[in-house]
Amino acid sequence: MTPGVLSRGGTGPEGGRLEVRELRSAEFPRADEVWRDYRGMTGDPARDRIFATLLAGQIVSLARCRRHSGGLEVDGIFTPDNFRKRGYAHRTLAALITACHNDDLYMYAVESLTGFYAGFGFMSIPERNLPSGIRERYTWAAGNMEGAEVRPMFRRAGL
Amino acid sequence: MNITDIQAAFTADTRNRTAIIAGLAVLTLGGNLLAMAVGAPEGLLPLPALPLTIPIILAGYWYPRRGLLFAACFAAIYAVTTTLLSPPDSYLIYTTLLRAILLVLIGGVVAFLATKLRESEQQMNQIIEFLPDATFAIDRGGRVIAWNRAIEKMTGVKKEAILGRGEYEYAIPFYGEPRPLLANRVLQGELETGHPPITKNGDALVAEIYTPHLRSGRGAHIRFTATALLDRSERVSGAIESIRDVSDEVMTEVALQNASRQLNILTGILRTDLANHLAVLYGHLSLGVMKFDDPEILSFINELNDAANGIRRRIEISREFRDIGTSPPAWIPVQQTIRKVAATLSFGGVTLDAWTERLEIFADPHLATVFTHLFENSLAPETKAERIIVTYQLRPEGCAIIVEDDGIGIPDAEKKSLFAQKTESYGHGLLLTHEILAITGIAIRETGAFGAGARFEILVPSEGYRIV
Repeated sequence: MTPGVLSRGGTGPEGGRLEVRELRSAEFPRADEVWRDYRGMTGDPARDRIFATLLAGQIVSLARCRRHSGGLEVDGIFTPDNFRKRGYAHRTLAALITACHNDDLYMYAVESLTGFYAGFGFMSIPERNLPSGIRERYTWAAGNMEGAEVRPMFRRAGL
Repeated sequence: MNITDIQAAFTADTRNRTAIIAGLAVLTLGGNLLAMAVGAPEGLLPLPALPLTIPIILAGYWYPRRGLLFAACFAAIYAVTTTLLSPPDSYLIYTTLLRAILLVLIGGVVAFLATKLRESEQQMNQIIEFLPDATFAIDRGGRVIAWNRAIEKMTGVKKEAILGRGEYEYAIPFYGEPRPLLANRVLQGELETGHPPITKNGDALVAEIYTPHLRSGRGAHIRFTATALLDRSERVSGAIESIRDVSDEVMTEVALQNASRQLNILTGILRTDLANHLAVLYGHLSLGVMKFDDPEILSFINELNDAANGIRRRIEISREFRDIGTSPPAWIPVQQTIRKVAATLSFGGVTLDAWTERLEIFADPHLATVFTHLFENSLAPETKAERIIVTYQLRPEGCAIIVEDDGIGIPDAEKKSLFAQKTESYGHGLLLTHEILAITGIAIRETGAFGAGARFEILVPSEGYRIV
């Protein structure tokens, strides 16, 4: 790899090599392992793209872009407790957005993080504006997004 | 074994079955009657009907169309004889009648299931029979159990003459001698060994050979594909093998390679000749510049020099084109290709972000040249780009690989001729890019906005990409 080209990392605070990249299908179980502490989320190579920040080869942050029939949903943005406050989630989400910027992106954002996502161009939308395939995930909330402490958000395609 | 032998065997088989059913019927009914005649204990009368079901089941299985009739007749005989020979007892008559009905039901169910089984077998046979590829199947013992019309046509060997045969006789039409075929390797679990070289495609083994024995002795290139037939327990119960005559494909490929080689030789000669003549022309132009002072003549010489430069550039382009399409297309990992290309270019302060990690496309092996030319255009100083991004987007019609930069972009007026022959300014090498992609049906177009950067969309058809 040529220095400065395709390199999306550098050196982490602990001195290990930092790398931000998309995971290959064979690496999905590694992501599942990290997500075990995050609602037991898993990746499906047939419809997911998973982006990760790795510190010295260890996954320190994850984000998932799932293809639904009506659009792409961003979720699974997760950094284990001992790696937080170092900007890893920011790097990972930035990578996902660059890689998937050709499509509109949707998400159910946790209320307390809507400001973080707004920094990436996400804006709040009424739940009815979500594609039905994505909306089905929160059918149990029966439209009470505040009660579920999540907010539907949307990011228009583009860099 | 010839047709007469097979017919004789079939007739003998039919006779044996009939004899077995008749024998069992007499035995079971006779035993029942004998027991009543010698005075079996009253509690045992009529004797349990269980043994009577054996000839009924066999008749229903072997002769499903007459199974029900046989069961009805058999049950009627049982019921009449038992009623006549048993002590008069209404309870006994009632149970005998019930058992007779049960026998008819058993015969009917067996006949129905056997009919369905035969239909299923028939459908499977029909499928194999009408497969366009020559196909045969062997059982676990290596005996032929299917031999379709296409293979009859290919080999000239009739189904009647080969069904039931083993000892590798089915290989004779292809090799001229009995020897194991791929199907035998499947049975023996010998995978990917031996000669000819065998490759694995999913669960199937594939091999290609040239045989002088087919096409009335004119020879043919054939491709064997074999896979296992599994029983309900997933154990190998046989193997099926199809044989395709790929002579036309092979000959076409060879002819194309020859034609390509000839064209390369010819264009190489022309290139050399043109370059030699061009050298002479440049020499005269240089002399002219030295010899004349008249600005009008010098301007004229300058124009001639530009025209000569144009010829030289076209020679360079034809040199770049010479290898395109000479190697077969293949599945190529896009990210890996971009990495290799990036390693050969000087990016200066320009960053390259490629997000195509799991994407593979079916393309000419010169795919790297495509990215080289696209990146070179973005990296040109006049483009003023600081960032190049490569991404992909899945669309209903396929996959678009998008290469974009944040430079000045391409004026609308230039877009029309972007993929035409061009050597200067933006667009250098794009004709070559277009041609390389077109080999496997991939299109390319520019969709950027002037002032906002260039954006190339490489449009891969649905069957030409995969996410691995």
